[in-house]
Amino acid sequence: MKSLFTIREGGAANWTLRVITMVAIVGLMLYIPTKWEAGTLNTAIEGLTYMSAAMALNLVLGYTGQISIGHSAFLGIGAYTTGIMVSRWGFSPWVTFPVAFGIAFVIGVLISFPAARIKGVYLALVTLALGLVFPQLATWKKLAWITGGGSGLPIACPATGVSRSCEGTEVPTTGFNIGPKSKGQMQTFEIFGWNPFGDLRRPDNKAAFYYWIALVVAIIVYLACRGVVKSRVGRSLIAIRDNETAAAVMGVNLVRTKAFVFGLSAGLCALPGCVTAIKTGGVSPEGIINMTVRGAITFLIVMVIGGAGSLAGPVIGGALYVFVVDKTGTWADDDKIPGVLRPFFAWSEIPPGDGIFAVLLILLMFVAPRGIAGLWKQYIHRIVRVIPRPAGAIGATPAMATATATPTSNHEGEPQ
Amino acid sequence: MDFSLLLQRVIDGISQGSVYALIALGLVIIYRGTGHLNFAQGEMALFATYCVYQFGEWGIPVWIALFMGMGVGFVVGAVSEVTLIRPISKKSPFAVFIVTLGLFTFLNWLDGAIWGNQQLPNSGVGSKQQSFPDLFPADPEDQFNFLGASIRYERIGILLLVLVITGLLFLLFNKTKFGLAMRAVASNTESAKLAGIRTNLVLMVSWGLAAAIGAVGGVVMGGLNNSVGLGLMFSIFIYGSAAATLGGFDSPGGAVVGGLAIGLIENLSSGYAQKWIGQELKLAVALAIIVAVLLVKPSGLFGTEKVERV
Amino acid sequence: MSMLRVVGLSAGYGPVSVLQGIDLEVGEGEFVVMLGANGAGKTTTMRAISGLISRQGLVEVAGDDITKWSPDHIVRAGVAQVPQGRGTFPELSVEDNMLAGAYVRHGGHDVRDDMHKWFEVFPRLGERRHQRAGSLSGGEQQMLAIARALMSRPKLLLCDEPSLGLAPLITQELFGVLERLNRDEGLSVLLVEQNANLAMHIASRVYLLETGNIVASGTSAELSADDSIRKAYLGF
Repeated sequence: MKSLFTIREGGAANWTLRVITMVAIVGLMLYIPTKWEAGTLNTAIEGLTYMSAAMALNLVLGYTGQISIGHSAFLGIGAYTTGIMVSRWGFSPWVTFPVAFGIAFVIGVLISFPAARIKGVYLALVTLALGLVFPQLATWKKLAWITGGGSGLPIACPATGVSRSCEGTEVPTTGFNIGPKSKGQMQTFEIFGWNPFGDLRRPDNKAAFYYWIALVVAIIVYLACRGVVKSRVGRSLIAIRDNETAAAVMGVNLVRTKAFVFGLSAGLCALPGCVTAIKTGGVSPEGIINMTVRGAITFLIVMVIGGAGSLAGPVIGGALYVFVVDKTGTWADDDKIPGVLRPFFAWSEIPPGDGIFAVLLILLMFVAPRGIAGLWKQYIHRIVRVIPRPAGAIGATPAMATATATPTSNHEGEPQ
Repeated sequence: MDFSLLLQRVIDGISQGSVYALIALGLVIIYRGTGHLNFAQGEMALFATYCVYQFGEWGIPVWIALFMGMGVGFVVGAVSEVTLIRPISKKSPFAVFIVTLGLFTFLNWLDGAIWGNQQLPNSGVGSKQQSFPDLFPADPEDQFNFLGASIRYERIGILLLVLVITGLLFLLFNKTKFGLAMRAVASNTESAKLAGIRTNLVLMVSWGLAAAIGAVGGVVMGGLNNSVGLGLMFSIFIYGSAAATLGGFDSPGGAVVGGLAIGLIENLSSGYAQKWIGQELKLAVALAIIVAVLLVKPSGLFGTEKVERV
Repeated sequence: MSMLRVVGLSAGYGPVSVLQGIDLEVGEGEFVVMLGANGAGKTTTMRAISGLISRQGLVEVAGDDITKWSPDHIVRAGVAQVPQGRGTFPELSVEDNMLAGAYVRHGGHDVRDDMHKWFEVFPRLGERRHQRAGSLSGGEQQMLAIARALMSRPKLLLCDEPSLGLAPLITQELFGVLERLNRDEGLSVLLVEQNANLAMHIASRVYLLETGNIVASGTSAELSADDSIRKAYLGF
């Protein structure tokens, strides 16, 4: 295949491309909060949540081949950690992030041991069970003293809101509990006297503040995943997925590696949960749909559409998902559908977002099992081909190595 | 101990469990043939259930509507197998799983797109029926006393229906040539091809049959709930797959036993440990038992252990 | 007219090509053996003839071009195969295995009669007719696989290394059965083997397969006479 341009890895052209990509991404991230209003920012926060959760899920599924339909539980653990610590014990929300990570990490490690013993279909079902049981446990009456039971926990008590009452709950200092000035409520966010957001009681400013928290969390999750994938552990992960027996022979400690990865994945998945709890201003399975199995399925869809086993995949998938769902959210109302598309969607009683994604998911499995990221890698070198550094230097990205290494690995041993 | 209460809970549990057994049977039929978990099993049934509601709107008697619904289910299952599952299964088990997940999402969306996201029948959106068509007499007074327990005709009817279906399946598997072919394909697909069995046809029919059986489960659930909604089959699918897991994914008999056992566990645990378990945690208890079973016996109670070849 | 005629057959798995255009023939009532080392493409040849994998070239059975036919059609055309390794349905009873073998036939009585006939040929199968096939010994399973193949009343029997993993005595017994079938019933047989010594005795003709190509062919006597072949394959 001939490509339009050929450049050398590490050369000037390669660096220029990298810098342009970085500038574009950073520019977009900075542009979103300055120009958009609260509604769009909340959509962006949702997108960042899906990206973070899907990246975390990708560690387990994309790199070890274990199917998990229960990651919503880890997001829920994050949300409840923040909720309980802030509203019951008055901690600052910032503190809850590392604690949530730690709790989810430990639970993830514990779950990884039975998960390592159970295979295939059964593992998928056991993780599904985890996803189902979590909301039930969270609303269990015997745990209501700490989780708030069915009505959940408030971590913000807007004075104007009639829906949520903080009575009976001790709310000494609630950190981001933004509202009229009273004890413990946050009005502005200042770093060393610099006040980037202004009055946080304005919805747009508040949304921008939360957006930045979500963005920082997403970047942390991305860097953590990148760190794992580029490390020795990451390479052993790929070894596990391709052939467990071979990996064991190679000296990869399967149980410990899987436990670490499952724990890390769980811990990282808890972080967007903390963000969601803060943004929603309350924690309950009804209020945060992403901590139910529905959320776990969405993470899976986002990850697979973006590209399982690639770092960029979940980011692409998350962005695309919220974009489509946001754009088509009002299409149940026929007048809101753009004219050209009206004949296709007018018959539908509900917004077509889920249907579009289901079809896209199935189609992608046929044409590009590695998702949009895989498709990109497949076709980008028709335009630009990057010649890797000579042998010895660290060459292709792990994601590329994955894309080429896997397709045959799933088949049964074929006779000669 | 109050005997009549126990009896009532056992009968309710078995009747409830028999619906799980139906979904589990469908899952097992597919798993035996292809080794895949059909995540869309419940949603295929839900589509057929919505169709049965629609047939009821058109004034078609419920039993005829049930058979038509089974036909719809059969077509949905068979078409899915031929157009999606068979081509994708050449790629990887993961791809198959994702495609059934896509099918799950698509079918659920399709139901919503056609029938809306409200519970049906709903006179607000123009339903003629008062409640979802009942297969068996289901008025409040339709019950009889047996050893002090009041037993609803509906419960007995459902149990009998499931027994009849299980019996017919047993005959199909063990007494017909096509059943022999199904068992042969499940046991060794390549040898089945070499024996001249049209494995493609067998798999297509298996998927259709599984979805048709699921449709019965959906109609029964619709009758018990008096309505059909987008979330009707998801929890049933979970219970059904739990039943299949408990019994072993390659054992039809295990699926039935597993379904009944889960129905019993669920009803007895929520009934007798009201304070601790109650309605909220009964699913958790059932699932915890299954995870425990899996840890001791990774292929379920009646499943056969698969030796991993290098 | 030949029972089986293969011209320029090539086949493989996905991008990996195993057979590079082989020619072979099995005459009516002939007993032909194909010898080759591990990985030479013997199993691939058998799978290609039975239509289990996609193939190019020409495969003719009794004058009919079956190259494009599906596996079940090929069985109906009178070609039965005993595949390598476990060719049975381990979860099914011995009797059900036999009945599954007769899947392409119609008429219950004929089938039952045939089954009893083969139970007389393989008495141990008759004794264990209600047991699960998976519980039989290796030799019994191989016999069951052959009996199952015969239940379709084939004109041509393809046998893929039936001696694999069996004790020499049982292998001998098995080959004896195949020889009788060929002699008494006029069944055409194509047998694939690594175990050259035993196979050469009963074969009327022999093909040598090496890395996907036929490198030599002839009667047993001709090939045994060739020094290089004798050293490489027969070890004497």
